[in-house]
Amino acid sequence: MIEFRNVSKSYTTGQEAVHNASFNIEKGEFAFLVGSSGSGKSTLIKLILKEEEPTSGNIIINGKDITFLKPSRIPYLRRSMGIVFQDFRLLPDKTVYDNVAFAMHVVRATPKHIRRQVPMVLAQVGLGDKAKVYPNELSGGEQQRVALARAIVNNPSMLIADEPTGNLDPNTAWDIMGILNDINLRGTTVVVATHAKEIVDQMKKRVIRIDKGNIVRDEKGGYDSEV
Amino acid sequence: MKYNSFGYLIGEGFRSVAKQKKMTSASIIIMCATMFIFGAFYLIGENVNFIMGQVESQQGMRVILSDDTTDDEITSLKTKISQIDGVNQVTFYSKEDNLASIKEQLSEYLEILDTYDEDNPFPDAYFVTLTDLNLNDSVQEQILKLDGVEEIVASDDTISSLSSVAHGIQMGTLGLLIILIIISVFIISYTIKLTVYARRKEISIMKYVGATNGFIRGPFIVEGIIIGVISAVITLGIIGLAYNSVINMMLSSVVIQRINITLYSFSDIFARLLIVYVLLGIGIGITGSIISMRKYLKV
Repeated sequence: MIEFRNVSKSYTTGQEAVHNASFNIEKGEFAFLVGSSGSGKSTLIKLILKEEEPTSGNIIINGKDITFLKPSRIPYLRRSMGIVFQDFRLLPDKTVYDNVAFAMHVVRATPKHIRRQVPMVLAQVGLGDKAKVYPNELSGGEQQRVALARAIVNNPSMLIADEPTGNLDPNTAWDIMGILNDINLRGTTVVVATHAKEIVDQMKKRVIRIDKGNIVRDEKGGYDSEV
Repeated sequence: MKYNSFGYLIGEGFRSVAKQKKMTSASIIIMCATMFIFGAFYLIGENVNFIMGQVESQQGMRVILSDDTTDDEITSLKTKISQIDGVNQVTFYSKEDNLASIKEQLSEYLEILDTYDEDNPFPDAYFVTLTDLNLNDSVQEQILKLDGVEEIVASDDTISSLSSVAHGIQMGTLGLLIILIIISVFIISYTIKLTVYARRKEISIMKYVGATNGFIRGPFIVEGIIIGVISAVITLGIIGLAYNSVINMMLSSVVIQRINITLYSFSDIFARLLIVYVLLGIGIGITGSIISMRKYLKV
């Protein structure tokens, strides 16, 4: 589903953010991407989102080599993935409902389809009663749930989360991870970049660790290798 | 899932016009000013062309025929002249007509012309008018080659100076139009840039959820078109009132009545000006919004 083949990425400053990375995340898998700040984690996410171009190597997503994807095709690639950020990125002047519906407008869904789908995903993330509320009236955890709802509303085949719990307290972080796990159990491939050692240790999922641009570990288990 | 989201785009465009009231009105005012200046030159140009047309149909040359041409030759000359490219009308004035018109002009001194009736010194002549004053020289040349033509009397200077004035005004209007279009595009793109900046977060989210560039651009293009069309309509109203009062003043002036020409009334020219303005407004709006979007579409 997400396959990197000997991917390297150097920035114009000459710094090599990712060196010769190879891994393959299968359909329906749940994978953590861990590493300290500046390890190349964010660059990996950006490469998956096609926000950055690899300097060498190939990236295959959904069986298609996206290394040389035309810019005009990028929107269609992104429709196959839901994306969640550390800072939620909600639109402050739209209600919860409209924030989620917005993602459907953008891909030109019919009004009927939007009216059917939005309440369903809001219920799935546990925000059925907050549809008419604005983001600034919500707690951080609730805002991240809205972002999750927005990410999955178009039924993407994979969900990419970049530090989804970075701004949240531990309890709320667990709620969010629970929802991510639910989404994964419904068949969506989930990739989570995170620092949250405790969560990674307890969830016992696949962990891909990147350090100074190199993938140093890729196996099921905890945050650190010796678990 | 494919759905024509035209209504959504138009709604968003209007929403942003309403939100950015100050900037929108500022750019409408400036667009109106540039369109007004352009419109003034356009109207002057159109009227000069109109006057030129009238003058062209009045201006012409007298083709003097040799005394020994027979009636048959005179008739065949008429067909030959009519066939020359650029000739509008050919009218025959016989010796007698010419004498009569002189008599009319000299009505108070008819005794000078006492003997003229028996021995008429005036020639037969054709009066030839042109469809295009620029063809003056070539028409003259071709007529002089015909048998039976003695000479041509024409006021070449008037003709050539009129056509150079008209040409100058056309060039001037074109140059001004280009400059004004560039200014307007710049102003409108600046206005839309403010909206784009205010909505950059929204745009980046749209990019992440898979919006195409066309879809993201849509509302901003609508915004540009709205500004352009509103400006066009306002300017049309203002220029209509201004034009009518100027024209009425000019038409009632002695000079214009003396030289016997008419000018366009605003209703004659309204449809043309409306089309020009709306196209101009839409074109400037679209170009301005595309320019202002370029930077933000690269994510």
